[in-house]
Amino acid sequence: MARKRITRRSFLKAAGATALGMAGAGLAPALVGAQAPTRIVFWHAMGGNLGETVVKAFINTFNSAHKDIQVEAQFQGSYDDLVNKLRASIQSQSVPAVAQVYDIGTRFMIDSKGIVPVQEFIDKEKFDLTQLEPNILAYYRVGDRLNSMPFNTSTAILYFNKDMYKKAGLNPNQPPRTFEEIEDYAKKLVQSGATTSGITISIYGWFFEQLLARQGALYANNGNGRDKAATEVIYNQEEEGARILDWWTRMVKAGVASNPGRAPAGNAAAQRALAGGQTAMIFESTATLRSLLTNAGGRFELGTGYFPKPPAAKNGGSIVGGASVWILKNRPQVEQQAAWEFVKFITAPPQQAAWYVGTGYFPIRKEAYREQVAKDNLAKNPQFLTAISELRSSPINRPTQGALLGVFPEARARVEEAIEAAVLGRRTMKQALDDAAKNVDQAIAVYNRTMGVA
Amino acid sequence: MTTPTPVAPSRPAAAAPPPRKGRGDLRHMAADRGLDLLMVVLALVVLFPLLYALGTSLKTTAEVNQYPPTLWPHVFNAGNYPDALRVAPIARFLLNSFIQSGAVTVGQLVTAALAAFAFSFIEFPGRQALFFLFLSTLMIPAEVTLIPNYLTVRSLGWLNTYPALVAPFLATAFGTFLLRQFFLTVPRELWDAARIDGCSRRRFLAQILAPLARPAFATLAIYAFLSTWNQYLWPLLVINSQQMRTVQIGLAILQSQESVSWSLVMAGIVLIVAPTIFLFLIGYRHVVRGLTAGAVKG
Repeated sequence: MARKRITRRSFLKAAGATALGMAGAGLAPALVGAQAPTRIVFWHAMGGNLGETVVKAFINTFNSAHKDIQVEAQFQGSYDDLVNKLRASIQSQSVPAVAQVYDIGTRFMIDSKGIVPVQEFIDKEKFDLTQLEPNILAYYRVGDRLNSMPFNTSTAILYFNKDMYKKAGLNPNQPPRTFEEIEDYAKKLVQSGATTSGITISIYGWFFEQLLARQGALYANNGNGRDKAATEVIYNQEEEGARILDWWTRMVKAGVASNPGRAPAGNAAAQRALAGGQTAMIFESTATLRSLLTNAGGRFELGTGYFPKPPAAKNGGSIVGGASVWILKNRPQVEQQAAWEFVKFITAPPQQAAWYVGTGYFPIRKEAYREQVAKDNLAKNPQFLTAISELRSSPINRPTQGALLGVFPEARARVEEAIEAAVLGRRTMKQALDDAAKNVDQAIAVYNRTMGVA
Repeated sequence: MTTPTPVAPSRPAAAAPPPRKGRGDLRHMAADRGLDLLMVVLALVVLFPLLYALGTSLKTTAEVNQYPPTLWPHVFNAGNYPDALRVAPIARFLLNSFIQSGAVTVGQLVTAALAAFAFSFIEFPGRQALFFLFLSTLMIPAEVTLIPNYLTVRSLGWLNTYPALVAPFLATAFGTFLLRQFFLTVPRELWDAARIDGCSRRRFLAQILAPLARPAFATLAIYAFLSTWNQYLWPLLVINSQQMRTVQIGLAILQSQESVSWSLVMAGIVLIVAPTIFLFLIGYRHVVRGLTAGAVKG
C-alpha cells in the first residue's frame, strides 16, 4: 500500500515536471522569434458532433490562412455556463480575447463594461454592414452602435409531419399561420386518428417571447429596455400575454396538445416525439433543422412553417435568437485586433454558409445565400428558407427587436414556471403571470442598483 | 395461513454429510432460489440505466428516435464510439479526472487522519471547542465558498492547472469526523501500551492505528474519490482549456446547444464509465477485505 502511494506521488511529480518542461519548450520559440503569432482564445458554447466539427474546421481554416494569428477555441459548456464563467472573470485578465454569448446575455455584457464594442473596429476600417440582415442588426444595435457581432442567428418556427397532415386530410403545403388555425389543425389531426398528439410544445420562455413579439407586444417597459434600461416586465399587464397562456392551456386541456415539460429537457422530448412519429407538430428553433431532418431519416416528410400570430396583429414579427461574439476589454490591444480579424472571418459569407447548411441557423449576411453550398442545400431542402423568410417579413419595431434585460436568464426561467403552473392548472393564468412578473421586477431592481444602471 | 398443523421445523443437519432431501430442505432450496431470483431482478433494475446506455450507444440515430423505444439495437452501429472520441479527447479527460480524484483522495486521507488523531488521542486545551468549530464548517454550503475560492486560485495564477482542481479539497471536516469517531472506538490501552514502549505518535498512527482503521479509511477514500469525480461547477469554473477538462464537463461537449444526439452522448458515457467500473472491480476485493478484516478470529 505504502509503496504504491509513493509511486503514485512520484508519478505525479514526474508528470508535473514534464508539463513544466513542455511549457518551457513552448515558450522558448515565442520568446526568440520576433514575428511570433498573436495567440488568442475563443470561448464558445457549440458542443455536439456538429458544433464541435464545424467550429474546429473554422479554426483550422483561419489558423492556416493567418500566420500571424493563432486562435484556440475552448468549449465552455452551455450558454449559461459560459456566461457564468464570464461573470466571474470579466473584471480580470483571465478572460478570452473573444467569446460567444447568447442573445439574452447582451444587456449584461454591455453593463459589465468589460467589452470593446465591435463598432469601434467597424468605424476604424469603415467595415461594410449593408450586407447584414437588417432585423439582425436591429436586435444587436443598442444605443446606435453594434456592441457585438452576431454569429449564429435563428428564429422559432413550426415543424410538422407532412404525412400526418395528409392522413388527416390537411394540406401539407399550407401550414397553420394563426393561433386559431394551429388549434384547429391539432384537433383535426387527433380526431382523424392520424396521431394522438396534435402538437407538442416545450415550456420554453423563448417561445413565449416570440409569441408576444408575433402579436406586436412588449416584454418589458421603456420600449423593451431599449429606450432606456427596463425597470419592469409588462407581459402580465397586456392582453397578449394572457392570450398566449389561454390558447396554450386550452389545447392541453382539450387533449390535442402534449406537454413535454420545461426546457431544455422539454425541447429534447418534443424533438424526439416528432422524430418518433408521436406528435404531428412542434415549435423549435430553426437551428435544429439539420438534426431534425437527420432524425426524421426519410421515415416521414418534414414540413416547416412560420410561428403563429393572430390575424389582427399587423405589427408583429419574430425576434432574432442565437448568439453573438464579443471582444473583451481586459486583453492586450494586439489581441483585440486579432480577435476582430477572427470575428470578421467567422461572419464572412463562406463560413456563414457552411454554418447555415450544417445547422439551420441562418446567415447574418445576405451574400451567404449566393455560396454554392447554400444554393445546393436550398434546392434539396427548401425548409431552410422558412426562418429567414419569417424574419424578413417581420417589421422592425420595439417588440420585434426583443427585450434587453440584465437578468434575462432568470426572467426566462420565471416565465417558464408561470407557463407550467398555468398549463398544469396549479394557478390561474393571471396569477401565474403576476407572480412571475413580481419576481422578475425585484431581480431587475437589484440588478439595476448593483450594476449602477439608471 | 391458518392451518393448525405445526410447521415442520427444518433441522439443519449440522455436521452430518448431506442428508436425503426432506421437506425442509426442499423448502429451504426454494427459498434460496426465490431469493436468488429476487436479487437478479433487483440487480437488473439497478443495472438497467447502464445497460440501456450501452444499448443506446450502439444504435443508429434513426433507431434512437424510434417509438416504441428498443432496449437493444436491431442494427449494431459502433460508429458512435469513434465519433465521440473525435469530438472529445476522452482519454485525456479520464487522465485528468483520475489525477484530480486520486490526489484529492490521498490528500484527504492524510489530512483527515492527522486531524482525527489529534482530536481523539492528544489532550490539549480547547480540543472540544476546536472540534465543534471544525464540524460547524460542514454547515457552510459549497456554493458560498465558490467565488472566494475562485478569486484565491486566480490570484495564485492557478487557473487551468491541477493545483486548482485539487488544492481546495485537500482538507475535509466530514472525513475528520468520520475517522475521529472510528479512532474513539480503538481501545485507549493500545495507545497507553504503545507510549510505554516508547512508540512515537507518528509511528502509532502509521503502524498501529491506520491498519486497524482500514475500513474507515476505505469508506472515506471511496467517498472522497466519488464526490471529486462527480464535481461539475468547480472544474468548469477554473479550467478553460480542453486539455485540462475532467470527464463530467468533457461529457457536456457531446451535447449541442439546440439538439442532442443521444447515441453519441451514451457512447461517451460508456467510455467514461467503463474504466471506473473496471477499477471498482479490482478495488472492491480490497475494500471488502478491509471491512471484514478481524471480523472472525482464527
